[in-house]
Amino acid sequence: MPNVDRRHFLKLVGAGGVGAGAGFMLSESRKHPVEHLVPYPVPPEEFSPGIATWYNSVCSMCSAGCGISVRTREGRAKKIEGNPAHPVSQGRLCALGQSGLQALYNPDRIAGPLVRAGRRGELEFDPTTWEESLAELANQLELMRTAGRGGGVALLSGGVRGHLASLLELFMGWLGSDRLLHYDFNHPATLYAANERFFGESELPYYDIENSRYVLSFGADFIGHWLSPVHHGLGFGRSRQARDGIRGRFVQIEPRMSLTGAAADEWIAASPGTEGILALGIARRIVDQGGYQGEDLDAWQAALDAYAPESVAEQTGVAADTVARLADSFAETQPGLAIGGGATGNHSNGVDALVAVNALNHLVGNIGVEGGVIFNPPPAFGPTASRQASLARMLELAEDARAGRIELLIVSNANPVFNLPEAAGFAEALAEIPQIVSLSSFLDETTAQADLILPSNTYLESWGDDTPAPGVGFRVGAVSQPVVEPLYDTRATGDIVLELAHRMGLDLAFPWPNMEEYLKYSWREVWSSGTPDPAIPDFDTFWTSVVRAGVWGDDTRAPSGEFAPGANVVEGIGVAAPEFAGAEGEYPFALHPYLSNALHDGRGANLPWMQELPDALTGVVYGTWVEVNPVTAEQLGVQEGDVVAIESPAGSIEAPVLVYPAIMPGVVAMPIGQGHEQYGRYAHEHGVNPINVLAAQTEPDTGALAWAATRVRLVPTGGREDLVKVSGEARELGREIVQIAAVGAGAGAGGAANARLNSIPITVVNT
Amino acid sequence: MSLIDDFLARWREYRAPGYYEEFDYHWTMTVDLDRCTGCEACVTACQAENNTPIVGEEAIARGRHMQWMRIERYWEGEYPDVKLRAIPMFCQHCDAAPCETVCPVSATYHNQDGLNAQIYNRCIGTRSCAVYCPYEVRYFNYNNHHWDAPLEQQLNPDVSVREKGVMEKCTFCIQRIRQAKDAAKDDGRRRVQDGEVQPACVQTCPTEALVFGDRKDPESGVSQMLGNERAYTVLEELNTDPSVVYLKKVEADA
Repeated sequence: MPNVDRRHFLKLVGAGGVGAGAGFMLSESRKHPVEHLVPYPVPPEEFSPGIATWYNSVCSMCSAGCGISVRTREGRAKKIEGNPAHPVSQGRLCALGQSGLQALYNPDRIAGPLVRAGRRGELEFDPTTWEESLAELANQLELMRTAGRGGGVALLSGGVRGHLASLLELFMGWLGSDRLLHYDFNHPATLYAANERFFGESELPYYDIENSRYVLSFGADFIGHWLSPVHHGLGFGRSRQARDGIRGRFVQIEPRMSLTGAAADEWIAASPGTEGILALGIARRIVDQGGYQGEDLDAWQAALDAYAPESVAEQTGVAADTVARLADSFAETQPGLAIGGGATGNHSNGVDALVAVNALNHLVGNIGVEGGVIFNPPPAFGPTASRQASLARMLELAEDARAGRIELLIVSNANPVFNLPEAAGFAEALAEIPQIVSLSSFLDETTAQADLILPSNTYLESWGDDTPAPGVGFRVGAVSQPVVEPLYDTRATGDIVLELAHRMGLDLAFPWPNMEEYLKYSWREVWSSGTPDPAIPDFDTFWTSVVRAGVWGDDTRAPSGEFAPGANVVEGIGVAAPEFAGAEGEYPFALHPYLSNALHDGRGANLPWMQELPDALTGVVYGTWVEVNPVTAEQLGVQEGDVVAIESPAGSIEAPVLVYPAIMPGVVAMPIGQGHEQYGRYAHEHGVNPINVLAAQTEPDTGALAWAATRVRLVPTGGREDLVKVSGEARELGREIVQIAAVGAGAGAGGAANARLNSIPITVVNT
Repeated sequence: MSLIDDFLARWREYRAPGYYEEFDYHWTMTVDLDRCTGCEACVTACQAENNTPIVGEEAIARGRHMQWMRIERYWEGEYPDVKLRAIPMFCQHCDAAPCETVCPVSATYHNQDGLNAQIYNRCIGTRSCAVYCPYEVRYFNYNNHHWDAPLEQQLNPDVSVREKGVMEKCTFCIQRIRQAKDAAKDDGRRRVQDGEVQPACVQTCPTEALVFGDRKDPESGVSQMLGNERAYTVLEELNTDPSVVYLKKVEADA
């Protein structure tokens, strides 16, 4: 497959010439709408038995928005691959993205509309028809709307973007309800808030890892699951070995080594929640050394006054000379990039900490430059105001439910019962809502509480579009198309909403017969916003070419202006000590829950490939464990497989111990994703859900769940549970399997410690 | 000539370096460990492409997992100076493969492209090859596997589903190589060009750590990688002459 240069990929497709660019799959990438059964002797056009047909679409397994190419044979999806023309994935894809097929062909999909027969949660459902259920639901909604009670409808969906998000906005607007919420456990709300505060930007910026020579990452597992792991992976690989003579370095700061920490040149454990303080310690050193010469130098000096090396070292547990070394390397090695996320952002001081990380980029002038932080333009389409719900907003919704202000809740592709701490009381609040309608494809924990289930198509059976977030520094839009006919009696979410609107008599407001027509209508605007091209004389040609390519957009970044933080931003910089739920005396360990690249926030648990994918760092399959430092394990007198109770102020769960060599002694870590009570045969009854013991602690600015801010104690139960692992001996024992090209102290001029941390030249010898 | 002499003569001929030079291709993969993060995208890509089964928790507990591609992880040092080193491990397609010589029915053999191939219909399941393989990359079907309906609809029709009693392993996605050869033939070309064929793992690798191609084409991407001074083969002392070449991970003496 040809390598597609990111800067030129869009010249080739869409706006530049119909389908000329994305190589082999474009010639056959347009879906032929098959509406009737066609006997094989007369195969439909563009369909030859034995020959694969490829459709470009968009991955929906996480929020990154990678472009995908789906290989189909005889009307069945066989393989999902990255779309080479899409600037985010560039022909690559992660493990979870590959597993989308198992969402499509999952044996536990809901095959048709269901209505509750028994009591709530008893999982007794009777089949019903779309006709009947939609008519009844539309009738109910219309009655509520005309009676002015439309506000009693709440719609809770997973993170959606693009025109489906616009459609939901429009629909809820017509109902007169403001309760349209997106809930994603992993939504980086604190990062948005920190960027808004420091940069004044409402979009996530593009982190140009590829061209950076020194990445300083505070808690962001950017290779594993954070924001856009496939794109970050591309950047990481190229920063390492794709530039002549330069190898990018990177340092990861986090209390427990993640996949990203393992890939880093240096992994530094800072006490949980103090990463922001460490960032300010580094900032102070940079300013002290004269690395910053801006006009507002005085303000910076004042703001950073409290972050003297000794005090930072004491709070973070990172030695003062390490702080100085990191600061000097970061200031010297240009362009560099500081990024923050993950547990760093999900602490009581999350926004302040991420602002501190942003400040580092500003101090060394890495904003708006190649290899630094590059701002994204607003999304090409879709709503601009975010509907992402924080924990605080979800608690509000629960409160509304308890007070009887919610008559009808529609849940679409979100699973708050699993993804909110039990302490939030969301499951109990659901019981107070008179009617719950779920549009989920699977019987997850939230859908189990529903009165009516109108199952949606999976993304591989639906029309949709997307604007990736974070973007790549220029405007990108992507279209997702159905790659197979729906397997069951299910409908696309957009079609369900449109059908409801039509049945409510809102035809004038919703004049589109289905989602595909709505998309086409909306994309006319996108078309007219672009530069006219003589090769694309009309909209139909444009639409065909976009659907073929799967992606459309600009191909150049707008030059960035000078950046300066807004008024009073510098004065407000400061990171308070982290606050935990649970006193240290009673609960000696900070609980560090983390998302894995396979199960993500739990959504991957019903995919057998993801259940059987050995955990990237421990090799464990099908389970939950609690990671403890070897010294801690010895102190507790536990070994691998000993079951301990993990007790927090909010609850208690049990899991076997895994002795993990790369975690701080005062910290224990648990993977999120298992512990499903519902969600099908593959998810059911494996492991436990650590979200359940999290206190409903929030970050004060955003109200986001501070999921890294709960303390626990470990109590051995005396039980044993052998972890199932796909891994052998944990040490190499001199076999030299992974060989190392050590770049020693002599590599840098003079061999000074600082020189070692600078970019390392690599000689590539060609034959 | 005695039987033994005859055997030894044939053996030497078989083991003579470069015997594959008379053939068209010598497929080779390089793995840059300085790029590899151990994210396992390749593991799932391989499983999707090659119909390797879902075996269940119990089978994995008994060491009977079937993924042809695995990531091995090795810890080095103790906290806080601890490192985790990951390496993708899969059939090395050795030119002097120990598994080939031991098979009593020649179910595993070297094909004309330098691939170590497995004939499922011929395999009688002695598992000798798995014992001889120093890389432990051969997987035995202890059971018949099934896919809960409709998961079987995802199965790749270009790859046969193996049954109980049969050994299997990485094929370098031989079905893709075949298709590329057919396509080249249809185009009236004699050779597959560099980049026209990629195994599923190489195609999906987010960090572009894997490179696949024909070593006999000096211009190919993989030939360029082979010239890198970091290139090495795993367990080189065994003289298996693998077709998978790793590039050393770079570590700074921090």
